[in-house]
Amino acid sequence: MKKLKLSAIMLLAFMLILSACGTSEKSNSDEKNGTDDGKKKLRIVTDAAYAPFEYLDKGEVTGFSVDFITAVAKEAGYEFDLANTGWDPLFIELEKNIADIGISSITITDERKETYDFSVPYFLSTNKILIPKDSDIKSAEDLKDKTVAVQSATTGQEAAEGLLGKNSSQIKKFENNNLAILELKSGGADAVIADNTVIEEYVKNNPKDNFIVIEDVDAFEQEFYGLMFPKGSKLKAEFDKAVNAVLDNGTYAEIYEEWFKAEPNIKVLKDQQ
Amino acid sequence: MDIRWDILAEYAPFFLEGTLLTIGLSVAGIIIGTVLGLVIGLGKILKNKFLALPFSVYITFFRGTPLLVQIMLIHFAVVPLFLGKTHAIIAAILTLSLNSAAYIAEIFRAGIQSIDKGQMEAARSLGMTHVQAMRYIILPQAIKRMIPPLGNEFIVLIKESSMASLIAAPELLYWGRAMQGQYFRVWEPYLTAALIYLVLTLSLSFLLSRLERRLATE
Repeated sequence: MKKLKLSAIMLLAFMLILSACGTSEKSNSDEKNGTDDGKKKLRIVTDAAYAPFEYLDKGEVTGFSVDFITAVAKEAGYEFDLANTGWDPLFIELEKNIADIGISSITITDERKETYDFSVPYFLSTNKILIPKDSDIKSAEDLKDKTVAVQSATTGQEAAEGLLGKNSSQIKKFENNNLAILELKSGGADAVIADNTVIEEYVKNNPKDNFIVIEDVDAFEQEFYGLMFPKGSKLKAEFDKAVNAVLDNGTYAEIYEEWFKAEPNIKVLKDQQ
Repeated sequence: MDIRWDILAEYAPFFLEGTLLTIGLSVAGIIIGTVLGLVIGLGKILKNKFLALPFSVYITFFRGTPLLVQIMLIHFAVVPLFLGKTHAIIAAILTLSLNSAAYIAEIFRAGIQSIDKGQMEAARSLGMTHVQAMRYIILPQAIKRMIPPLGNEFIVLIKESSMASLIAAPELLYWGRAMQGQYFRVWEPYLTAALIYLVLTLSLSFLLSRLERRLATE
């Protein structure tokens, strides 16, 4: 009898928790219906595993991209929900028009332009090579007979494929850069190719690993990050204007300096438009 | 639904390679897992509780933690400890074997304990030793009862070998994800992978039901 009572109480508690979840979800969807000025609340998606651009800090998505998109959305007059969907689902959500904007250090490429629209560039980046300090690798050319770890479906992978051939068995593709770097650290790869900011940040934060970053200007092209929209999105024009406003009014430089402790090269971004 | 056959054709050789590796990983996992599982299952039913403890701990750990965590730990921590570098295929086989051994151990234990106590007593009274009774009377009967749950475990194992894609072992799902990442398409890679997994698990269930029928006594 006592047991029965206990399970009845537990069941009741469980139902209470469930119903509480239900109500909070409901209020969320109410908010989604719009802001005061009648503009739609945007669903912005990201893959928060790319410090210092977008990463989880105690469960909250944070980073340069978050501050940047907050400034741009404010400029454009939109409210938004930022969802951490992961890298591959991000593209699918945009293609299927489930999400409105993707911001996740997405490099603007011609291939991607076939399926998506991009804003004007908002960030300059190049791929660089992360190697152990005592490695004999001096340039991209030296990677030809080495094993390279990359994050799957990134320009780092494309750069590696450019050197080693598409789907080469010397390329190990991981879910994210952290795993790729872990592979290098555990001795499973000789180098990691990834965006400079990410691996430079890693080296700065993990001096004990004895990694260095090398650059090969001839082998890897300059890349520009853009906000990504579903093809034909009406938001593109509004957000292009807002990005330019944020670039011009000093907000961009402020955010950039806060995260990267350096001054941005806004001219090169503007030239690219 | 539009299917891009050209990219499927492009990736067909990789899917084939991936399928072979998936089969390899699964077969290795099944064989090593069964051998280990038998030992661990017998260990857990030892009369001496002190000796049985390590086996119980093993089963608790491998059944109680996610395979994803185990594969990451083994790939990035355990294998480098021994080899000095990572090796995705070794890590995958090791994880699958160790993980399935825990489940198989419990299947063995359940099978053995399901045999009526009188069988052991009868065998002993005929003058057999405990080991002989186990070997000739208990295990043959137990194994027949263990086939359906073992088949179940093997099917789970084939599907769970897809976790190896996370440590970049170039198995079936790894190539599916590579294809998805390259073309940003979902149907072609995942449907193909799903179909191949289905074929693999269906063939295994067919083999197991054949085996079951051959062992049937009535």
